Formats: sequence, C-alpha cells, structure tokens
Amino acid sequence: MVQDVEGIIVVNTETIPGKLITESFGVVSGSTVRAKHIGRDITQGFKNIIGGELHKYTELLEESRTEALSRMVSDAIARGANAVVNVRFATSAITPGAAELFAYGTAVKIE
Amino acid sequence: MPTHNFQIRNPVTILLTIFIIVLSLDPVSAQSSNASVNIGELIGILLLIFGVLGVIWGLIWMFAYPIFLLYALIFSGKNLDNMILKTVERERAIISKFGKDILSNIDGGFRKDVISSGIVWAGAVYGPSHWHQLLGKLYNWFGGSIDIFQKVISAGRAESMQRLREIAIEEGWDEVINVRIDTSPMAPAAGRKGIKAVEVFAYGTGIKYS
Repeated sequence: MVQDVEGIIVVNTETIPGKLITESFGVVSGSTVRAKHIGRDITQGFKNIIGGELHKYTELLEESRTEALSRMVSDAIARGANAVVNVRFATSAITPGAAELFAYGTAVKIE
Repeated sequence: MPTHNFQIRNPVTILLTIFIIVLSLDPVSAQSSNASVNIGELIGILLLIFGVLGVIWGLIWMFAYPIFLLYALIFSGKNLDNMILKTVERERAIISKFGKDILSNIDGGFRKDVISSGIVWAGAVYGPSHWHQLLGKLYNWFGGSIDIFQKVISAGRAESMQRLREIAIEEGWDEVINVRIDTSPMAPAAGRKGIKAVEVFAYGTGIKYS
C-alpha cells in the first residue's frame, strides 16, 4: 500500500496513535480523473442491464484512488512532511464512465 | 502542488491527432509524388468506417438489449439475493473468527499499545438491473419506499464493508478505527441518461497492537 511504498504514514484519524505531531504543513491534496477504454464501457453497459456489481468500474475507482492518494503523498513529501493525517476522499461524477477522485489531508511532521 | 502527467490514451485524442497529422501533410508534395489517395478521400473513408461501425453497433444493441432485459427480468432478483447471502456469510465467518466486528467508528485510541497505523480502503460499484430500474420508476409514480433500490445500495454497502475487513486482515491490521462510508453516483458510459450505478466506498485507519 501507499504508506509502505513511500515510507510515510497516511491515516484518516486526527492523531496518529503512539506518535507526537510536532509541525503542520497545511492541507495537501491530490486528484485525478480516469476512465476505462470503450470496450470495457460496452461490457459494463451490458452488465448494468442484468444488474449486480460492475467489477471493472470498481477496479477503475480503486486505481484512481491509488493515483490520487499517491499524488497527495508526493505533495506531502515535497513539503517535507513525514505523515498525512485526517485524510478524506471526495468523488464526483463529472461525465459518464469516468470518475473524479480527490484525496486531501493535513501534512504533518511526527516524532 | 502534485505533478500531473498528461498522456494520450483517449481514442478520440488519438484519432484527432491522426486527423491533424493528415491535414498537416503538404498536398502539393503528395501530388508531385503521384500519391493515389488525397485528403478528401481519406476523410471520406474515415467517415464511412465510423458510419459502418455505428450501424453495426446499433444492430447488435437492438438484438441484444431485449435478451439481456429478459434475462434481468428472470434472474436479477435471485442474483441479488444470492449476492447478499454470500456477503452475509463471509461477514459472519470473520466476526465469529475474531469474536467481534473489527471495524469501528470511533476516532483515536482507547488502547495505548498501538505500534503502527495506516489507511485502508475498499469500494464496490453496484447497479440495479434495467428491469429493477423500470420497476423503480413505476414505484416512483405511486410514492412511498422504493425497496428495490434500497436493497441494491445496502448490498453494495455490506459488500464494501466486508472487503474493508478482508483487506485489513490481509494487510495485517488488528483493527480498523474511524471508518467512514461514502456513497457517490457512478454512471456507466454506455448508459443513456441519468445515474445507473452507485459506488459505495469505505475507508478507515488500520491499527496494529503490540
């Protein structure tokens, strides 16, 4: 996951259990808009008629969330932070078949 | 701010690029080298290919849609019930294994022996079948509760929470605190108008005890 790759701690709580926050660097954010290619859109359109889970769109949202989160983390690293706390996600439906993902949090330095 | 990479992966962008490259070719040199195809013919061929593809797609859709709708009419209710049953079974298995639900909504630690923490998330995109959407529209005229849509969304919610539990266990967390559940519309591109599916997304902070 992200925190293993980048070596920085990402949590959605206000504090990190067992750690002391010493400095805040403000809000960091990362966003992305992604879509699947037209073949996948067609198969998912057919899947939608018969109902149930749309696996490829689940996959799409997972990919875009990872991307948004890693952009947020690189923003935090650029500011010299070593943790991001209180992370929130926001999604918006900008156009059919695409997803806009937005991740934001507060970059902090911990001891 | 984070860096953004712009890549040409959209088919429309690629086609437009090809179109611009074709237009930017010098017609005079093409004529002097006795090229058999000029730009007007190329555009005509491209438009023809698009037209033929559009007609084929329309025909496939015309024949396939009633078959899929019939399938949805017969099986979609049963499939939904099966999905809910499977999710509930997995949920029960995990709860009975750990003795409690590992997800909780509280923020922060009541235990001081936390050694590491990190974010975990899971999502699921669920959509009602077109037959259910038709029924939902019918129910909408009469008002009251539209139980079919409620069922689909709660199935998605249960599924995404169950995935959050499974992912947290897979990554080695003992417990997940501060769980938030988010719902957002996700419209499939092939769908016509309106929102046809919903994405349920659950996230929280995984913590590990020493």
